[in-house]
Amino acid sequence: MSKVISHLSREWRFMLSQKYILVLLACTLIVSGFSVVSGIQEIAQQNQTIERLKIADALDRKEAQEKHSDPGSIAYYSFHLTYQAPSELAFAALGERDIYPWKHRIRMLALEGQIYESDAQNAELAQAGKIDFVFVLSALSPLIIILLFHDLVASERTSGRHDLLVTTANSAAALWGSRIIVRFVAFLVCLLLPFCIGAWFSEAAIGNVLEISLWSILYLVFWTVLSVLWGRKAKSAPRVASGLIGIWVLLAFIIPILGDLAIKESVHSPKGGDIVLTQREAVNGAWDLPKETTMDAFVATHPEWKDYVSMESMFEWKWYYAFQQVGDQKAASLSNEYRDAAQQKYDLAGFVSWLSPPMLLQRKLTRVAETDAIAAFEYEQQIREFHKQLRLFYYPFLFPPVEFDKTALEAMPSFERLVQIDGTDQNANVLASSQKSQLSNQ
Amino acid sequence: MKPFRFKQLVSVAKDEWRYWFRSKLALSVLVIGLVLTLSSVVVTASNMMELSHDRHALQNSAEETFLDQPDRHPHRMVHYGHYAFRVPSPLSVLDPGVDAYTGNSIFLEGHRQNSAMFADQRQGTALTKLGNLSPAFIVQVLAPLLLILIGYSAMSRERESDTLNFILSQGTSIFTLIGGKLLALFSIIALILLPLSMSGILAIAQGESVIATLGFLLGYLLYLVAWALLVLLCSTLFSKNSESFTALAFVWILLCVVMPRVASTTAATAVPSASKLETDFAVIAQLRKLGDGHNASDPAFNQLKASLLAQYNVDTVEELPINFRGAVASASEAELTGVLNEFAEQGMSKELSQTQVARQFGWLSPMVAVRSLSMITAGTSIETHHRFLRETESLRFDFVQALNKVHVEQLSYADDMNRNSSADAAQRARVDAKNWKILEDFNFEVDSASDRLQRSLLAYWQIILWLAGLLICIRWAGRRLS
Repeated sequence: MSKVISHLSREWRFMLSQKYILVLLACTLIVSGFSVVSGIQEIAQQNQTIERLKIADALDRKEAQEKHSDPGSIAYYSFHLTYQAPSELAFAALGERDIYPWKHRIRMLALEGQIYESDAQNAELAQAGKIDFVFVLSALSPLIIILLFHDLVASERTSGRHDLLVTTANSAAALWGSRIIVRFVAFLVCLLLPFCIGAWFSEAAIGNVLEISLWSILYLVFWTVLSVLWGRKAKSAPRVASGLIGIWVLLAFIIPILGDLAIKESVHSPKGGDIVLTQREAVNGAWDLPKETTMDAFVATHPEWKDYVSMESMFEWKWYYAFQQVGDQKAASLSNEYRDAAQQKYDLAGFVSWLSPPMLLQRKLTRVAETDAIAAFEYEQQIREFHKQLRLFYYPFLFPPVEFDKTALEAMPSFERLVQIDGTDQNANVLASSQKSQLSNQ
Repeated sequence: MKPFRFKQLVSVAKDEWRYWFRSKLALSVLVIGLVLTLSSVVVTASNMMELSHDRHALQNSAEETFLDQPDRHPHRMVHYGHYAFRVPSPLSVLDPGVDAYTGNSIFLEGHRQNSAMFADQRQGTALTKLGNLSPAFIVQVLAPLLLILIGYSAMSRERESDTLNFILSQGTSIFTLIGGKLLALFSIIALILLPLSMSGILAIAQGESVIATLGFLLGYLLYLVAWALLVLLCSTLFSKNSESFTALAFVWILLCVVMPRVASTTAATAVPSASKLETDFAVIAQLRKLGDGHNASDPAFNQLKASLLAQYNVDTVEELPINFRGAVASASEAELTGVLNEFAEQGMSKELSQTQVARQFGWLSPMVAVRSLSMITAGTSIETHHRFLRETESLRFDFVQALNKVHVEQLSYADDMNRNSSADAAQRARVDAKNWKILEDFNFEVDSASDRLQRSLLAYWQIILWLAGLLICIRWAGRRLS
């Protein structure tokens, strides 16, 4: 036991004497710290934005409800905020939140005309990508590991100490093993310490933090083992490192890029523009169609209102909202195909990522942090669900000739409530529920 | 003396070439690099050309469908709306820039400014998060790595094997030696830039300005020369190959991998921009004060009513020779657009200042500099997207107001007010479809070459400063050796 400790303390002192290793470790700590701090800031900004939007949204709807008195106009002029709050771990994996929208405002008009609106962040910054912990971990840390471990043997060879070391040390395993362990642990601490502090600060669930840490360690061990093995027999350190960096380029860039090309070629998706065009033609064409055509198509999916479709004036709100819904129905199959294609691409990318550890890690961590495309698809599904609730809430005031009392608005569905119910029902298979609601939309 | 030195330069370069051919590593790196560059050029070019073709076709069909609409109430056409598509610039075959990150089509309708829809990234696989196959990415990030792998030992090798003193004693000056090695690396740079230049010629054939294309290529040339100098500097500074390599790899990680992301993260936190959604609320609050253009009896339009009645010297809106509802629609659209534009301009200038913060990092990393230079000169930067938004907005305003003019002049107020009373009345409240010809052709073209070059001046200066700094350092390092 004391032998192990003496080995380790010797290697620790040796490491402290090597300036370039200290520089690498310091840089790791700084970059990792920067990514965590900026991630926390970014998430704080997102949360503040949501809070501001919630206040503005409530005020806006209140004003709309005060200004108008009939349910049709109130529905037309009230917008509803929907949003996807970042999870506690989102600071570490900002994921796709700069590409997919996480806030949306919808009203009771045809949803297909609204849902593709994007309130994206600065495109030029999104194109460069942000630095978050997942990036530091998946892309940067392999490079640092390569620099730390590639010349383990070769550097001793070139400095002529190799043979001396090997003959004087009790066993090669003890010599190289303790050197590897000391460097690895020092690196691990520099990399993960900022993340753990950030997770503690964000009050992330301990299970998730452990899961991320475990994946991180596995990933780092993979690169360490690769670097050490690759450099075992080598005489020239730069050659080892060139090879390792080549592997890194292959795994981080080339394989994902080729996979992306192959997937784009193989999965065919309807053009997004066709969905909105179909919806627009349907909605605008309805003004020139006989009212019965629209009402028949509407009643086909909403039979409960079949006794209330006759019209006394050339314009009635129930007809207006009916043709909005019919517009969505006409675009539904295209829209489903579009979403299925996106899902399919994401699933196929999962297979490709098995060939690319950096991508695999990114997918794992963004999944745990709920910032990946799946989370974005779920959010879109929640918006669709909420829009449906909203329609079903207003129809009873629009179709039967009832007196409308504004106090009824208090029972209006709220997106927050929907998300809460959704959250307690998390075990339900999201895919199954989305398919179900797609069927009911048709 | 001069021609003799040039001969020496060439012979040093030739020696370096010979060394590369003998070393499998250098040769395979070179081959991989060239294959990557070439395939990125081909793939991106075919992608962008297909996109360009698609969007041209979509633009034409959007115009045709608008013109093909039947007789309608003019305000129906205001809501029917129109589509505008952003056709990528010719140089986007080399740097697609923000194309995949901003939506590329925009729905134009009355009373609203929609954002661009259908960003390609959202139908993506998330596999290209670290890098993509565009020539821009390959040359900005991977080409420097290639130069490092090939050139890290250019000088340190001579020191490690003690041939340096021999070479110097034979009368070759240290700067001739460095110059010769630079010449050798330059030939690699030329090889890398060759496929880009061919794509550039293709872009010129498609109507891109020659000066912009040359500016674009010059930017990359200067950038790669800066990297070649950096490689030679490290190789001269360190006496061991391994030290030179580690230092270069470390510098590459910092400049090409870390810095661009630090730049965008810093910019996003330094200049927090309000989301469009937030400004939308502010817009709505303002608009409520302006009144709803659908409702001619909104008290907000009393002043307009009074002035029109006075102008035509009549007592009631029914007596006006024009359609008062149309006048209200037109006036409220104009006011509303004023408010919308004010907020849109605020948003865009926020976004621009954010981007400019990120671009300042070009002083710290030539990769950030060449990245902005490349996007700006290719016409795929945020500025060009903003111009697209502005142009589509003026297209929107023009066609909506042209339809409102039809509403004012060609539809009587009485018919308009009775439009919902019966099917016949609804028929009377329509205007002839030939009025839809007000739509102007929309052809989005990239900014002028001089605009783009002017915008990229900062980035040129950043790279030039790097070049100058590196030359000074090499001079110092060379003197130290000799």
